[in-house]
Amino acid sequence: MNRVFARQLSLLLITLFLLSVFTFSLSYWFPGNPVTNSSGVSTEHPLFTEIAEARGFQSHIGHQYIAYLQHLFQGDWGLSLQDNTPIWQEFKLRFPATLELAILAMAFALLFGPPLGFIAAIYHRRFADHVITSFSLSGYSIPVFWLAQLSILVFALVLGWVPIAGQINPLFDIVPVTGSIFIDIFLSDSPYRAAALLNALQHMLLPMLVLASTPLVLLTRLTRSAAIDVLKQKYVKGAYARGLSRSEVFFRHVMPNAMQPVLRQMGSAFNLLITNVLIIELIFSWPGIGSWLVRSIFERDYPVIQGGLFILATLILFANIMMNLVHAWRYPQVRQEFYAS
Amino acid sequence: MLPKRLNLKRTRASELYYEERNPSPLELVWLNFRANPLAMAGFYFLGFLGFISLFAPWVAPFGANEQFTEALSLPPAWSDDGDLRFLLGTDMLGRDMLSRLLHGAQLTFGVPLLVVLISAVIGIGLGVAAAVSVGVKSSSLKHFLDVLFSIPSLLLALIIVAIIGPGLLNAVIAIGLVMIPQFLHITRNAVVDELPKDYVVASKLNGVSTLYLLSAVIFPNIVSVLVVSFTLALSAAILDIAALGFLGLGAQAPAPEWGAMLAQSLEVSYNSPWVMALPGLALFLTLMSVNIVGEALRSALQQQRETT
Repeated sequence: MNRVFARQLSLLLITLFLLSVFTFSLSYWFPGNPVTNSSGVSTEHPLFTEIAEARGFQSHIGHQYIAYLQHLFQGDWGLSLQDNTPIWQEFKLRFPATLELAILAMAFALLFGPPLGFIAAIYHRRFADHVITSFSLSGYSIPVFWLAQLSILVFALVLGWVPIAGQINPLFDIVPVTGSIFIDIFLSDSPYRAAALLNALQHMLLPMLVLASTPLVLLTRLTRSAAIDVLKQKYVKGAYARGLSRSEVFFRHVMPNAMQPVLRQMGSAFNLLITNVLIIELIFSWPGIGSWLVRSIFERDYPVIQGGLFILATLILFANIMMNLVHAWRYPQVRQEFYAS
Repeated sequence: MLPKRLNLKRTRASELYYEERNPSPLELVWLNFRANPLAMAGFYFLGFLGFISLFAPWVAPFGANEQFTEALSLPPAWSDDGDLRFLLGTDMLGRDMLSRLLHGAQLTFGVPLLVVLISAVIGIGLGVAAAVSVGVKSSSLKHFLDVLFSIPSLLLALIIVAIIGPGLLNAVIAIGLVMIPQFLHITRNAVVDELPKDYVVASKLNGVSTLYLLSAVIFPNIVSVLVVSFTLALSAAILDIAALGFLGLGAQAPAPEWGAMLAQSLEVSYNSPWVMALPGLALFLTLMSVNIVGEALRSALQQQRETT
């Protein structure tokens, strides 16, 4: 296990290094001045030469890269070209909002995806299986932006059950401290905290469900096929032959073995979710990293694109490595694969 | 499985003895695939889309951007206010929805198909070359690339679009650039997995050339894997190009690309929901057909592996 850990850690460090080289070189690839692209300070700014010097632009490219890393770790990510706000401050407010939405959606998908898959596998080729399979196949193919539009039209406009967009009704006047709306409500001293919480939950419901839909059906499909494979195995028949009850066989033998291949794909479920965050946040005006990044591409706000890409890619890499570690920790037979030679 | 194979025996009267012909791996997959009616329905739908993408200008009743100022936001023909001239209604600028959808098939289905084909050819070629020439068989490289490719294609495409600017052509280039390394990776892995197998070693001992080894010995055995990854890539490319169109970074406003049409329908979705429902439905059916075909291919592949 230690070897697996060391391997995965070095893998993470190497990929992060490559990622930082890539984001650094973006300031050269974007049109315009590389100093402006990385710091957000225009060439007419009085401090331009000092900032260019601080970022090593008087020296060779290796020096520039090191200066870039220094700025990255110090939290000096430059200024936004749109409104000159420091990117790091903006990021600190937006990242928890994205994380909150993503974690809730992932939890929802994990709570309902695998159980549905197990139900389909147990009733393989019977009514319940057909219902779940057709539901998951259509859910897998539905473009997420269309699903978001449809759900807004039906649940927010026609039925009026939930608000259309945003994080919370601005009348509640919750001061964004951490960016995560639930923590902010908890921290605020507003007299209407309970009402604010209810309102935030209503705002959260629709984006969370739409965001959860794709990973949910992916997990359902994966679990279903894995469980069908496991149910065919001889050790399941053996467990029945030893006189174990249905639930004992299921919980002790079928479920842990079926979750192994599902856990392997958990990373891709998370990647799907992050891809969809980019679109969902824009549609629901959620103040997170995704809508920030997409909007900065419209506005050609290069320092923000650089920062946003770095954050999202780091999040994805980190999540994937964590999944690998959990996978190797829970399933010793997988470790062999990760040892490699 | 077994009866189908018996059918394949060529029983021509002129032959002296019945020669058993072993179908190639791809043929086996096709036989399995044909037994699945849903998959065939998806397959025919994709064929229909291919036809529309080529011949939309002749099939569609009107041009994609032809405006009828007397018929703004007409509902589909089967409702009371509908006009039979506009079978699926018109949008807020008085353009015929059916014609726009038919013209859009070219952009939303034809273009991604072409891009994936091109990147598959390049990626597979490079992947084969990499598998043969680069001797690194270390699985650390494989794990490293697996982690690197976990970055979603849409995110990478967004960054490429940020560098080269928005527009349909640039979105297409971005998707193509993202797809090539993935094909390369898959092909390289598939070839490297086959290389140590007995039948490959036997051919090598027979002294065949590298080109023959790759094209006639290994290729028929990995082609099914490549076909499945092709359908996955196609589904991803269609979705990504539509998503970029939706975000306003791909196809631009008057183009009848389905994603861009959805984005324009945002403001009118309450008053004329069909403007929003139809492009989405078309996109949904397209993606579903690609996914069903891909899924059927995958299960056919698995069955073939289990029986042989």
